[in-house]
Amino acid sequence: MLLLALSDAHIPDRATDLPLKFKKLLSVPDKVSQVALLGNSTKSHNFLKFVNQISSNITIVRGEFDNGHLPSTKKDKVSENSRNLEEIPMNSIIRQGALKIGCCSGYTVVPKNDPLSLLALARQLDVDILLWGGTHNVEAYTLEGKFFVNPGSCTGAFNTDWPIVFDVEDSDEAVTSEVEKTPKESEAGQEDDVVKGEPTDKEQSETDVADESAANENELKAESQFKEEEVNISDLDINGSNSPSFCLLDIQGTTCTLYIYLYVDGEVKVDKVVYEKE
Amino acid sequence: MAYADTPENAISVIKQRTALMNRCLSQHKLMESLQHTSIMLTELRNPNLSPKKYYELYVIVFDSLTNLSTYLIENHPQNHHLADLYELVQYTGNVVPRLYLMITVGTSYLAFNDAPKMEILKDMIEMCRGVQNPTRGLFLRYYLSQRTKELLPEDDSLFNSQFIMNNFIEMNKLWVRLQHQGPLRERESRTRERKELQILVGSQLVRLSQIIDDNFQMYRQDILPTILEQVIQCRDLVSQEYLLDVICQVFTDEFHLKTLDTLLQTTLHLNPDVSINKIVLTLVDRLNDYITRQLEEEPNATSPNAYLDMDVFGTFWDYLTLLNHERPDLSLQQFIPLIESIIVLSLKWYPDNFENLNKLFELVLQKTKDYGQKNISLESEHLFLNLLSFENNKLQMSSSSTASSNQSIISKKHFIFQLISKCQAYKNILALQNITLQKKVVNKILDILMDADTEELTDNEPESKLHSSRDTTHLVIEDKLQVQRLLSICEPLIISRSGPPTNATSSETNIDEVFFNRHDEEESWILDPIQEKLANLIHWIMNTTSRKQTGENKIQFSLEAQLEILLLIKSSFIKGGINVKYTFPAIITNFWKLIRKCHLILQYLLKKRVNNKTLSSHYSNLLKQMFKFVSRCINDIFNSCNNSCTDLILKLNLQCATLADQLQLGEISYDFFSQAFTIFEESLSDSKTQLQALIYIAQSLQKTRSLYKETYYDSLIVRCTLHGSKLLKKQDQCRAVYLCSHLWWATEISNIGEEEGITDNFFRDGKRVLECLQRSLRVADSIMDNEQSCELMIEILNRCLYYFIHGDEAETHISMKYINGLIELIKTNLKSLKLEDNSTSMMTNSMNDLHITGDNNIKSNTSPEDGSGSADRDTNVAVGSDGTYIQLNTLNGSSTIIHGIVATASGSKLLHQLKYIPIHHFQRTCEYIEGQREVDDRFKVIYV
Repeated sequence: MLLLALSDAHIPDRATDLPLKFKKLLSVPDKVSQVALLGNSTKSHNFLKFVNQISSNITIVRGEFDNGHLPSTKKDKVSENSRNLEEIPMNSIIRQGALKIGCCSGYTVVPKNDPLSLLALARQLDVDILLWGGTHNVEAYTLEGKFFVNPGSCTGAFNTDWPIVFDVEDSDEAVTSEVEKTPKESEAGQEDDVVKGEPTDKEQSETDVADESAANENELKAESQFKEEEVNISDLDINGSNSPSFCLLDIQGTTCTLYIYLYVDGEVKVDKVVYEKE
Repeated sequence: MAYADTPENAISVIKQRTALMNRCLSQHKLMESLQHTSIMLTELRNPNLSPKKYYELYVIVFDSLTNLSTYLIENHPQNHHLADLYELVQYTGNVVPRLYLMITVGTSYLAFNDAPKMEILKDMIEMCRGVQNPTRGLFLRYYLSQRTKELLPEDDSLFNSQFIMNNFIEMNKLWVRLQHQGPLRERESRTRERKELQILVGSQLVRLSQIIDDNFQMYRQDILPTILEQVIQCRDLVSQEYLLDVICQVFTDEFHLKTLDTLLQTTLHLNPDVSINKIVLTLVDRLNDYITRQLEEEPNATSPNAYLDMDVFGTFWDYLTLLNHERPDLSLQQFIPLIESIIVLSLKWYPDNFENLNKLFELVLQKTKDYGQKNISLESEHLFLNLLSFENNKLQMSSSSTASSNQSIISKKHFIFQLISKCQAYKNILALQNITLQKKVVNKILDILMDADTEELTDNEPESKLHSSRDTTHLVIEDKLQVQRLLSICEPLIISRSGPPTNATSSETNIDEVFFNRHDEEESWILDPIQEKLANLIHWIMNTTSRKQTGENKIQFSLEAQLEILLLIKSSFIKGGINVKYTFPAIITNFWKLIRKCHLILQYLLKKRVNNKTLSSHYSNLLKQMFKFVSRCINDIFNSCNNSCTDLILKLNLQCATLADQLQLGEISYDFFSQAFTIFEESLSDSKTQLQALIYIAQSLQKTRSLYKETYYDSLIVRCTLHGSKLLKKQDQCRAVYLCSHLWWATEISNIGEEEGITDNFFRDGKRVLECLQRSLRVADSIMDNEQSCELMIEILNRCLYYFIHGDEAETHISMKYINGLIELIKTNLKSLKLEDNSTSMMTNSMNDLHITGDNNIKSNTSPEDGSGSADRDTNVAVGSDGTYIQLNTLNGSSTIIHGIVATASGSKLLHQLKYIPIHHFQRTCEYIEGQREVDDRFKVIYV
């Protein structure tokens, strides 16, 4: 059984559409049996239509920019359905064979994106796999025998979380922040196998270092006239360093094979992670 | 001699006589066979045949006569002399058989060089006048034309053309006369018959074009004037339309180009009912073919004008002006397609000349105004739609025919954009249309402009691949004015209402409608593809302006210029009234992007150009200014939406606060947080929304770093916790307060280089954390509902474990003693819960027995026997993070939310299940604690 996890499309508020290559990959009807929308994906007519074509079996949880109720189309209005619109839940649980999969958008997890908090939620919901969103950064790790998956933003939309900052002088800073991918666990001394950090961080840091040196060269040139073009700013910097990504979970019995699709520089990269319930 | 009464009989007679004729010929009995032929030909005299039937007979007869002709040629002059025979057949009784025989013999004779060709031809064509019945005459002359095809004198094209033209003129006369025969009421059927016969007349023009070949001199001086005169003078609708079309089709396009004037002038003198546009369109098509061919042959030439120093558009333009002057009666239905054809021409010949288009659109505008805009009928509406959205598939902007579809879309995109920014008249025409039509047109234009496939292509294709055509693939916005024009075109969409038409802005006074509106806007978010498209347009414009240009004449927008454009967009979209809730978030996002960009520039300046104070202060002012704009936008949403999307506004404020905080703008951040609190206090009413909003505020606050000075942070988190403790429901209070405990316990943000254990200046106050948890526990304890109370306590226990893991007791103040105490409390409470459970389980079991056949949609595999073995029992209900009960599907699939438990058998079953939630949750927590003992010794002192 294939479960598709999409999150934080933010269409049309922050992005216009999925990358074309993602759309082509996903435009195979009757392949995916369920889609989980993990927040901020309910405001676009076109997007919902697209998702509905992938599978009509859709689980939605509420993200901070979703409305309390599922949006309606004008047609529904005519048929007087507007009063009994479905409420979008905060959490949802999908049962699939021996596995229970929890979904939440992550905006009510305090502190945001904290593995221990997420673990507590997984315990509360009694799920083996917890899908969460809201950070726009793809992540997957196993903690205490539970599997945590964040599919990132499927459009690479603008993100108001802390961007990666390379503060001024020491470029070592970039290296440190890269090393500590899942610091919470290590600090608490209970790190299980960290399967995947935030892949975008790494690339971002590299390009940025390059930018830095390029900027240095520029500085040597005449200082008389400042032009904004000389500051090398990529879209990634502005959007909060997130590349479009989504996850596909192949669930067979107690095994979940996770495929991570990441869109970098116009190409789709795929990673595979296997989780087995103990 | 009589003819057969039915077409079928006629055919059999013809076949019979043909057989007889052939037999006689084989026996060299020429006279007898001519006799049979004559009888056969009599069938062609039948006046009652339809053109179709007549044609069928004609074809059979033609074949027989070919046999005869072959015989005549083969046996001349041994068995007979054709000159004699030519005389002889004159004695045939009836005129039709006589002429057919004469032509057969005459043309056979022409095959010999010693024959007096001219005389015979002249004689034959003169004699053909003898048949004046239209159908018969047409076919006879057609026969003459077919027979003489190969046999005209070789080196006298003047004579030949005169001969064919003579025949053509006579045929046309016969053809026109057909219209005026018989009773008036059969007019329509006669018109139909004429159309069936038109090919006979047209064939003459085809012949002519073959004869002329490339003799332009003759064409211009002799042929064209004569033909056109005939066309004009016949004053016949069918004839004029058909013949002009044939003229345009059969002669070469180069001729047309050179005689364009004459051709166009002719159309002015036609029957008023003739649809000129069809003729002009055919002509334009031909001219466009010409230019396409020329471009393909010589692709390097820059402009089509290189081939010909004539102003083709000018000619058409003069013609249009004249036409408009002389024929003010032309309706829009006729006029618009005409203009459209000329647009097609202009696009092909002068692809970069938008003045031409502007002229044309102005003319349409004038014409429309003359007509009075109210009079635009439904039929002409689709004409305008086609005209304005360039639906016409003949519109192919790309010059080479091999261009891929993507490229043609790109060029169409460029074209539309240029058109919008350069042609004022286009906009004016659009403005004259009714709103629905305007919307349709704008919708189509936006679709073309933002075509996703090509957008992505241009965005992602590396330079290498598209390098040569890079300049052309990118659509370049050059200045503010273009954006302004584009936006003004979009206005009908911006102000369009998605709801029912009664939602007019002036409806405030009507109580019903106000109520209706309120309900509409608060309860549901209508998915509106139009507003979505507009939001996409905002992104599209901003992306286009921020895209790095690599071409020669690159236009790089400075931050300020982009800001100006964004403000322009904002002021244009504010007209949308309630629609701003769909579009303003996109505008705000773009402000955010500019803010980040500005910040990055500022950082760069501070780093690299330390001494340039004015520059950096300029950018930091800009930064603050932009936050003000965002705040303005949020207020605009608030004011335009009448309290309907306060939740959205709250969250936008929070995101702004987060963003400002990240840029070390503590004061601004504080303002936005305060704004969020104000919204929370004044406008959020629904308890569920309140809880979620409060948690979100706490989450945002927990990640802030710049608010510590001036006790901003302190006052905000206290305010937040206070609100949490005042929520309506106790369980909400409890959850909000224990989550607020995190506000006194900052955790690392790895993105900015913080690290647990290394960074030592985290904002942490364990005492307050404990206070929050204690307070939360007090609330949990005071809840009467035992299950809820237990569940909340377990959640608090989990929070305690979080802090326990996180730090030393001395720091967190969450001691193992406290945790053990809490566990004891939970155990006691659970015991009483179980007790309660056991007493009711008997009853539940019996109820199960009663409904054993019924409610298996809720529980499938209940085993009532072991009701006491609660620990192993699998619950199908869970509690979400906001306290909602989630019911799992027993089979595979997703869960549903339980809104209220109904007092039915299944409901009580569910109620029964709820007790297991805290029990199981506690079990899981204990298992977790036990598991932790292996990695953390401190856990060993927690007793479960």
